Amino acid sequence: MKKRGSHPVWSYFLAFFLLTSFVITSSMLLFLNYFAKSAGVEFTEENLFTAAIVTFGNAVFLSLICTAVDIFRRKVMVDRPVRAIVEAARRITNGDFSARISSKTALGASEGFEEIIGCFNTMAAELSGVETLRADFISNVSHELKTPMAVIQNYGTLLQDPELTDGQRAEYAKAITRQSRRLAGLVTNILKLDRLENQQIYPSAKRYNLGEQLAECLLQFEDTWEENGIDIETDIEEDVFIESDGELMSLVWSNLFSNALKFTETGGKVSLSLKTEGDLAVVRVSDTGCGISPEVRGHIFEKFYQGDTSHAAQGNGLGLALAKRVTDITGGEISVESEPGIGSTFTVKLGRAL
Amino acid sequence: MFQILVVEDDRDLNRSVCSFLNGSGYNAVGRLNAGDAYDALYENTFDLIVSDIMMPGIDGYEFAKTVRSLNQDIPILFMTARDDLTSKQRGYRIGIDDYMVKPIDLDELFLRIGALLRRAKIAASRKLEIGRLRLDMDGRTAVYDGEEIPMTAREFNILYKLLSYPDKTFTRTQLMDEFWDVGTDTAPRAVDVYMTKLRGKFDKCTEFELRTVHGLGYKAVLK
Repeated sequence: MKKRGSHPVWSYFLAFFLLTSFVITSSMLLFLNYFAKSAGVEFTEENLFTAAIVTFGNAVFLSLICTAVDIFRRKVMVDRPVRAIVEAARRITNGDFSARISSKTALGASEGFEEIIGCFNTMAAELSGVETLRADFISNVSHELKTPMAVIQNYGTLLQDPELTDGQRAEYAKAITRQSRRLAGLVTNILKLDRLENQQIYPSAKRYNLGEQLAECLLQFEDTWEENGIDIETDIEEDVFIESDGELMSLVWSNLFSNALKFTETGGKVSLSLKTEGDLAVVRVSDTGCGISPEVRGHIFEKFYQGDTSHAAQGNGLGLALAKRVTDITGGEISVESEPGIGSTFTVKLGRAL
Repeated sequence: MFQILVVEDDRDLNRSVCSFLNGSGYNAVGRLNAGDAYDALYENTFDLIVSDIMMPGIDGYEFAKTVRSLNQDIPILFMTARDDLTSKQRGYRIGIDDYMVKPIDLDELFLRIGALLRRAKIAASRKLEIGRLRLDMDGRTAVYDGEEIPMTAREFNILYKLLSYPDKTFTRTQLMDEFWDVGTDTAPRAVDVYMTKLRGKFDKCTEFELRTVHGLGYKAVLK
């Protein structure tokens, strides 16, 4: 690679030479002028000629020393750290996220390099974190996608056997339906999350009645709670308005409701409340389900994290990640409180439109 | 038997939807593109259309628009992979009646088609008959067992709506929005008063029951 923007040595020398010559010549002229006037001495042409040559030689010598010192200074204070940063940046460009710049590089370097190196290392650490997440995400996605596909493929093969009894046939077909439903839900959620993360849908905020939206959303699960014998309790304050993207917010509510209903046993209770607290509209969705342990709670909003593997078949570990993402985008806040064995409460706080 | 036209360019999906509908008591005809669908519509009368949006050549929007311009009443259901609000809005603006996102659940498709056909019939006749109860939208009259039950226009509208969509729960605001004048500032709780009156007037009617759903809204349940 060509050296970036560096000038040849002679240009440094020339600069120093001009500077030294200028300084020496001016000093000499001033001094001689003053000396000649006060002492009344006259200089012969020969004297002047010798003095000029010696002075010129002196200027050349001083310039050489300055150039040498400057080249050395640049090497240590600028070139060395720049080279280290460029090298590390090139490694990161090529996908090696472990590249870091040694803090020793900053020793003796010009001011500012220490800060740049610090920033660079933070950025590299951040990038390698993202990379790990991405790798985990891909392996999770492929596992979640491939499992139902494998099941479907296997049962499809099995169904081609002409010797099957009607009972077996029905059972295999049911398994295929169940797995393809799971696959469908997963693909839909991955696409939604992807769209949210790439910010292709920007929230289009409109003022609307939050209580009404919550009621309509919860009613979509009427069949579920009737089938499973779950009691519903609602406490919705009237005329609470928010200004937000209704379609996005309904993703939050439906994920919270479906979770609450999924983890609540027959005879349990799911409650929904909407209250105002100052400028905030506070939505609480509680269940009397199995609860969430503190370890699980820390990861519950992460993609593909599933606290309870026994419920894995019913969900795909993306619902809460979606809900979290939406509240982030719309400037809300989502949190969870839970006691294992007693139940969980999810709280969403949103700015109220007055 | 109801005739249903299925327009969908994926051969396997088309065939599976058609055989499901044929097995569920409908007579379904499948077409792979809008051009063939137009021909089918010329040759036969259909009671309902199920259509995809993304198709080669004429797309679903264009197809639905043409059908709507020729027939105001036929229910059209979009069955599509596009789940964004803009696509839905565009569809409903053209005048479609229902929208389902792929992959569709066949059982749900069956339910929705049933509801669409029932509503189309109610809308066409503007009359509702449930056992001994007759509601007439034009005269806003309710007759039970040969005896007219006096009702205000609002009471009638609420009941008509609830009975047009049995088992569907409406929130108070949904029951209100449709009929109340926008100017009147009635709190949603006013609906509760109307429900009490309706229950009183129809207490001897055994054909249906008006149920409160957990403080969320109301629904009519047929017996």
